[in-house]
Amino acid sequence: MTRTPGTSRKSGRAIPLAGRGVRLAFALPAAVIFAVFFLLPLLSVVREAADDHGAAFGRVLADPVFWRGVRGSLVLGTLAPAFSVLVGFLVALNLARLSERARAVALFAISLPLTFSGLVIAYGFILVFGRSGFVTLLLAKLGADPAVVGGFIFTPMGLGLAYSYYLIPRVVLVMLPVLTNFDRAQIAAARSLGANSFTAHLDILVPQVMPALITAFCLTAAVAIGAYGTALALVGTQVNILPLVLYSKISDAGSDFPAAAAISLLLMGLCCAVVGAAELIRARRAA
Amino acid sequence: MSVRFENVSFRYPGSTAGVFDIDLEIATGELLAVIGPSGSGKSTLLKLLAGFAVPDAGRILVDGRDVTDLEPHERALGVVFQSYALFPHMSLWRNVAYPLKVRGTPKAERRQRALDALARVGLAEFAERAPTSLSGGQQQRVALARALVFSPRALLLDEPLSALDAALRHGMRDEILRVQRGAGIATLHVTHDQEEALSMGDRVAVMHAGRLIQVAAPRELYDRPASRTVAAFVGHANLWDGEVRAPGRVVTRLGELACDTAGFEPGGRTCVLVRPEQVVPLAELPGAARPNVFYGRISEDRFLGAVRRCDLEVGSGLVRIETNIRTAIAAVSIPPEAIRLLPPDPTALHTGSLS
Repeated sequence: MTRTPGTSRKSGRAIPLAGRGVRLAFALPAAVIFAVFFLLPLLSVVREAADDHGAAFGRVLADPVFWRGVRGSLVLGTLAPAFSVLVGFLVALNLARLSERARAVALFAISLPLTFSGLVIAYGFILVFGRSGFVTLLLAKLGADPAVVGGFIFTPMGLGLAYSYYLIPRVVLVMLPVLTNFDRAQIAAARSLGANSFTAHLDILVPQVMPALITAFCLTAAVAIGAYGTALALVGTQVNILPLVLYSKISDAGSDFPAAAAISLLLMGLCCAVVGAAELIRARRAA
Repeated sequence: MSVRFENVSFRYPGSTAGVFDIDLEIATGELLAVIGPSGSGKSTLLKLLAGFAVPDAGRILVDGRDVTDLEPHERALGVVFQSYALFPHMSLWRNVAYPLKVRGTPKAERRQRALDALARVGLAEFAERAPTSLSGGQQQRVALARALVFSPRALLLDEPLSALDAALRHGMRDEILRVQRGAGIATLHVTHDQEEALSMGDRVAVMHAGRLIQVAAPRELYDRPASRTVAAFVGHANLWDGEVRAPGRVVTRLGELACDTAGFEPGGRTCVLVRPEQVVPLAELPGAARPNVFYGRISEDRFLGAVRRCDLEVGSGLVRIETNIRTAIAAVSIPPEAIRLLPPDPTALHTGSLS
């Protein structure tokens, strides 16, 4: 009996490292947590907001306080991340040149602020820069008015600065791997070809790490727009930002839960829009 | 367009490594190859010239102008890096035009000059492509075009061929030489590949432990190395410690060798150099006794295609042979004119039992 080549041969295939069942089993815990701690709460918020045929949205959108909150959040969510990205980029640039060991130590110190709650950071800032803060009193000895210096952190600018305290580490964590892997010989080449150090970094390094910079900006913008602990502790409800408008709906003044739910959804939409915009820009640059 | 190192010394902070007392001149149009084992300081020499390190002592002159304290971008030197260091976010012509851009050349002119430079290395049709789409050899040629487009005062090549596979490397040697000859500028070529240095350099400088131990034309360096270190590093070598027994006679582990002993006193120690390709293999021991003929046993036999490299055990010594004969080898003859006596190695232990 003869065999025709090709008819009896099985077609070749790649063997996956894990079968379908194993992969599903690994995905299950994450799926459960996602459902219980994100989807379910989100659904109840949506139901709350949709109460009374969505009248809460109408109330919120007609409220000038809400719109002032949106404006405040957008300003804070742009300036604080911009400042943080600038500082974090320079920090990461210097860390990237250190030895691996020194980098690990520095990274540990830089990541510490991320472990503190926003409330702790706010009190820390009050203790250091507040009206009777350590730095304020030190500057007072040099002739600076403690009322002015001590008042600064309770302004939107001061709030932005406090935000930077935990936004900068996030920027460093995003940028460091990118900068560490960057081939420094390119900078050396640009300099030998006639560019000074600043121009070389601007022409050669910055365009190549731009996608990471955009990611860092959007990540920190989303955090800054959504954060509320630091703001509440520092400025109370004097500064108009969305999370504080939301807070005011469910605390002292009144308890308009449908409106609070509507604001949460709008806040989430805003953060998603920022992150989505970043992905779009990145995708367009990569194309 | 010449380059000169005057008494240059540089030590890496917190270490004993660096380069010491470097006096070196590269003439206009000359290609000087620098070789040495890793850590010998050859790359440091290039860094000092490029401006990425500043010497602790001495001066560096380019075209008679002191550039010792100038920043890299003020030196106008074309550098080709080991990794090529092309800018991945720019097309080829923009890569090549970059040195012209930072010099403020108008866009139309710099594009034209970049295209001309790419044409000279045979890559004109790839001008709009990204560097990552090229092969290693093509990237190398772009790096070369970029380093030369702004008419630099000198060309610096940092192990430019080490990332290429062997077949491509040979072609690129000729290509680099052709472009360098065309530009007619002083060139410092750092490499760990001695064959590359010998084939490309007008002169070759050998570095060891941060010092220049010999600077000479390739043939001179190979045939008349100044020391055992140079002889061992450049090419393959048989090196035997020996003692001058009488004028014209040296005793080594192999036995007595007849050779020219001019410059060495009887009773003095020496180091005997014989290149493996100059050893004459014999199929059998000649009937009558002849000087410099040694009988032995082949301990290693490696067939490398064009050559065959074997080791012949002679008494307690070893003779390395390079030959193209394929028959059995029973003995070797070492022609007296193939033997070169070098100063004894000061670090070698004198065993006292040479014969």
